[in-house]
Amino acid sequence: MSVQAATSLPAPAARPAAIAFGIALAAAVVGIVLPLLVASPVTLSLATQGLTNAILATSVGFLIRQSGFVSFGHATFFGMGAYVTGLLLKHTGLALEAILPLAIALPAALAFVVGLVVVRVSGVAFSMLTLAVAQVFYEIVVKWRDFAGGDDGLSVTLPPRVFGLPTTLFQEPGDMFRIVWVTLVVILFLLFLLARSRFGRLCFAIKDNEERARFIGYRTLMPRALVFAISAAIGSIGGVLFVLYNGFVSPDVLHWTMSGSALVMAIIGGAEFLIGPAIGAVVFLAAKDKLGDITEHWQAIIGFTLILVTVRWPHGLVGTIWHWIRRRGRGGRA
Amino acid sequence: MTTPALQGIGLSRHYGGFAALRNVDIAVPAGEIRGLIGPNGAGKSTLIDVLSGRAGKWSGQVLMAGTDVSRHSPQMRRRHGMARSFQRTSIFPNLAVREQLELAAHHGGGVDEVLEQLKLDGLGTGPASELSYGDQRRLDLALALIGRPRVLLLDEPAAGLTVQESLDLARLLRDLVKSWGVTVLLVEHDMEVVFSICDRITVLHLGERLMEGTPDEVRRSPEVVTAYLGRSAH
Ligand SMILES: Nc1ncnc2c1ncn2[C@@H]1O[C@H](COP(=O)(O)OP(=O)(O)OP(=O)(O)O)[C@@H](O)[C@H]1O
Ligand SMILES: [Mg+2]
Repeated sequence: MSVQAATSLPAPAARPAAIAFGIALAAAVVGIVLPLLVASPVTLSLATQGLTNAILATSVGFLIRQSGFVSFGHATFFGMGAYVTGLLLKHTGLALEAILPLAIALPAALAFVVGLVVVRVSGVAFSMLTLAVAQVFYEIVVKWRDFAGGDDGLSVTLPPRVFGLPTTLFQEPGDMFRIVWVTLVVILFLLFLLARSRFGRLCFAIKDNEERARFIGYRTLMPRALVFAISAAIGSIGGVLFVLYNGFVSPDVLHWTMSGSALVMAIIGGAEFLIGPAIGAVVFLAAKDKLGDITEHWQAIIGFTLILVTVRWPHGLVGTIWHWIRRRGRGGRA
Repeated sequence: MTTPALQGIGLSRHYGGFAALRNVDIAVPAGEIRGLIGPNGAGKSTLIDVLSGRAGKWSGQVLMAGTDVSRHSPQMRRRHGMARSFQRTSIFPNLAVREQLELAAHHGGGVDEVLEQLKLDGLGTGPASELSYGDQRRLDLALALIGRPRVLLLDEPAAGLTVQESLDLARLLRDLVKSWGVTVLLVEHDMEVVFSICDRITVLHLGERLMEGTPDEVRRSPEVVTAYLGRSAH
């Protein structure tokens, strides 16, 4: 909400974008330096995996923020990104340069078509439908042993070079950490610009009052399907990076728990905020790591935390901090 | 006679077995302010819904300047020059006033003009849900006025406004007709407003058109008096 309010300032329109660009640049630099400070390759590797999850959480949060729809099946797009890359590498002679765009475009296209149908329904029905679609994909991959490797998963051998770069970069924790980090930063910056664009505002308006949007002359189906498609594209980027890094993908990435944790990350971090879900991912994975050492009931603890957060801090971590700062700011001025 | 700017032919709308609108004809010439009155539940809002494309299952025909728009979606009708306001305020609660008017203007501009006309300037950049009720009512109207539609369907725009605000609104509508020749269909409970600014008035009662005439004719009509007195007067 507050983010939207801020964008409506009649101040020079370029300034917030310039500030955001500065922040993005700084964040990218931090990410590039960070691996130098982390000695343990295991930690770095976990962090890299975590960042691919953060990309998925960001896509889930983007969908919530920009359309109000809560997807219970977003692992589908992450998994598709990974599987399309893996399967095309394994079964076709296509160059990786051609495969990568396809691995993002196919999930986006699927989401767009599915979106034209499912965004017509409301809230819970949408969530259930996304869950159903995701389960279908999970089952297909598990059952399709010859082609997709079934339960055993799929090992992927990368060609030596892509876009002139050695693909060993993707499998070296430090380098891949930088690649995934910068990708996430670029995604966040683009989503920031999208939210401020005319299209972004139309989406906010449709989320706010779909009927009124129609009566002021807008089609409302297409924009929502488009947001769903963009969200799917982002999720699939996470999956592509995941498979490039691991050289392996299994149906786990399509499982509903994958969708579920991405949603939990988005909510804990605060889906109303651009960086909320990514922050949520960090917190979630750190908690899972620490709690996993202490107790095997970490899932229950995270579940309980989620309930606590949704009831007590509905704006998530980032939202709660934001509102706290604003309230203090107001108090100071008064 | 020239082609009406807005015309409904044989409009009917049922809710289950209940006929909220029964075979209603209405024709509003360009540049006219037409009042639409009737007791509570007479079908006024239903008629606006049917004309604007909001109603689900209905029958009949809707024409704008002779073009059949019966099968047009609300957004197509809007692009054709039809705009409406809502009896139950319908705005974008989380967008700022200017932001939503800019959206409603598409690429046409005119936001400042409408802001001024409806005294919505200076309301800041906060979400519209924080505005007072009266401001929200006028914002709803502004969302309809922006872009200079050719046909305006207004469902009780003055409900909840102060007497002074209603009078200002009445004057504004008159001015708009003069300045850009808009055609207005106005649902209004305040008889003073209706009789003072409407060229003609259509009276609905129990989903049917009871009569139609000039303010004087309507005022003198015994049927209208009975229809209103038949129910406890508002
Ligand atoms: N969604 C609905 N379902 C069932 N009946 C409805 C529905 N909407 C309206 N009605 C009925 O249709 C009739 C006409 O309603 P409508 O809202 O058009 O009246 P109105 O003339 O606008 O009244 P008011 O002056 O109270 O706004 C009423 O009897 C109402 O109860
Ligand atoms: Mg009504």
